[in-house]
Amino acid sequence: MLHIKRLSKSFGKRQVLQDLTLHVRPGEIYGLLGPNGAGKTTTINILCNLVKEDRGEITINKQPVSEATKSLIGVAPQENLLYKSLTCAENLDFFARIYGLSKQQRWEQVQVCLEAVNLVDRAKSPVETLSGGMKRRLNIAVALVHLPKLVILDEPTTGLDIEARYEIWELIRNLKKQGITVLLTTHLLDEAERLCDKIGIIKDGRIVVEGSLSALRELIPAQEVVVVQTRDEESAIARGKQLGFTHRRYGNDLAFWLPEPLELKEIIACFDGIAVDAIARSPVRLEHIYVEVTQG
Amino acid sequence: MKYWRETLAVAQRILIELLRRRRSLVFWTIFPVSILIINGFIVAERAQLSMAEAFEYAAPSTLVGAALFFSCLGGSVATVVAEREQQTLKRLFISPLSGTSYFLGIFVAHTCIGIGQTLLVYTIAAFWGAKFQGSILLGGVIILLSIISYVGVGFVLGTQFARRTEDVNALVAAFGVPLLILGGAFVPSFVFPKTLLDIAKFNPVYHMVKALSGVSDEGKKFADIELHFWFLYVFAILMVVAGWLSYRRMLSVERRL
Repeated sequence: MLHIKRLSKSFGKRQVLQDLTLHVRPGEIYGLLGPNGAGKTTTINILCNLVKEDRGEITINKQPVSEATKSLIGVAPQENLLYKSLTCAENLDFFARIYGLSKQQRWEQVQVCLEAVNLVDRAKSPVETLSGGMKRRLNIAVALVHLPKLVILDEPTTGLDIEARYEIWELIRNLKKQGITVLLTTHLLDEAERLCDKIGIIKDGRIVVEGSLSALRELIPAQEVVVVQTRDEESAIARGKQLGFTHRRYGNDLAFWLPEPLELKEIIACFDGIAVDAIARSPVRLEHIYVEVTQG
Repeated sequence: MKYWRETLAVAQRILIELLRRRRSLVFWTIFPVSILIINGFIVAERAQLSMAEAFEYAAPSTLVGAALFFSCLGGSVATVVAEREQQTLKRLFISPLSGTSYFLGIFVAHTCIGIGQTLLVYTIAAFWGAKFQGSILLGGVIILLSIISYVGVGFVLGTQFARRTEDVNALVAAFGVPLLILGGAFVPSFVFPKTLLDIAKFNPVYHMVKALSGVSDEGKKFADIELHFWFLYVFAILMVVAGWLSYRRMLSVERRL
């Protein structure tokens, strides 16, 4: 569906993308992750034909990016870009019209999209009267109204409460069920973990790792990650070394990679004699992989 | 067909938004009506004219010099700035909407508003017995050229100088009020001293007022207002080009998500 090969772009002397390559298969949810300034937004700008690449090839549904491919893409940007004094239905109808849908198609698509984002009962409500979560859902609906082949969701749940976030996640899963290809950028690793079939981590303008979550887990030689809360971190680190545990810091947390799964009492025994206040264990998560890749 | 469809979509959206913000609509109604009535009564009293003659005199300057200026120029500046502020311009950038359609959509919407104001001003003037003396077609062309000019200037100001909604009023007042006074919208130009009149001849509002007054009030033919008409015609074309270039420049600078 989406093929990007050796894409490069610089603004002045600043190289933003360097030989970025990624492939998204039809019907897949692809998570594009990376720190701020890594090149995610520039990639989206190029996909939307807003910025011209310096080098590289990009095809969407086998067509090179151009004004014509704009109709193949639906973009839900980070901000809710909606006309506040228009109703939900009017916003959808306006954009459907811009994309060239007939009156009949527009009428149908407005209904379909309102249903998809669970806003049928707010069809005639002006956008300014909607809650943050509703606005975000409508923002996504606008991206879907012209039946795009590829939907780009740029941080779709940033700033939303947990309930609204669940609703958006459900909506994204439904897009996948309908066979729509999704390119999702997010800073919420938990979100990527839950939704994405494939994840690409971008750093300094290039994809540094790419694959399914299970494939990415292979990058960390650990079965489990144990966070140890202690006032005597030096002793804990020294003990970890003796036992062959690699240690890492995730924010303020001191964590150890366990090469083999251990019972809780075995883990506690490992730190015997050290003033440990709490131990938390988890499987290798995207957060651990992300930190390893972006800060390693 | 694509351009036509997109133009109508943009125009309709602007008009629906205007209808939703009823307050603006009411103000845009109150403004020309009050100016017309004030002008009409002042002219009737000071020039010792009948009410019909006074309103025939006041209607054209009120329309092109005051009503259309604030609705079409101020309105198009406000439209562009509002799109920028609520960032919907970005959404339009990622859509297949062409710049031409967007420009034409704003023009069509403001033409509709201008037509509404024209009907309002002349209906009220007719209430006091005023008549449109000359060719309605020629008058219509002058009004249309005035709208084109104002929308063009609005695009230049909106895309290049106004970043926020708060800028709109200051900008329209700074550029507009002196031009309107010098154009004879509020004070008849025959009372201007010679120096001021010489300067006024470079003011497009002056030519709009003179051309429409000539046709509407004095029943003049095209040949009689030719100079004003051609000045206005060239100005309208220049402003469309300038507005278009400004819009293109804004696109090249702001076309990012």
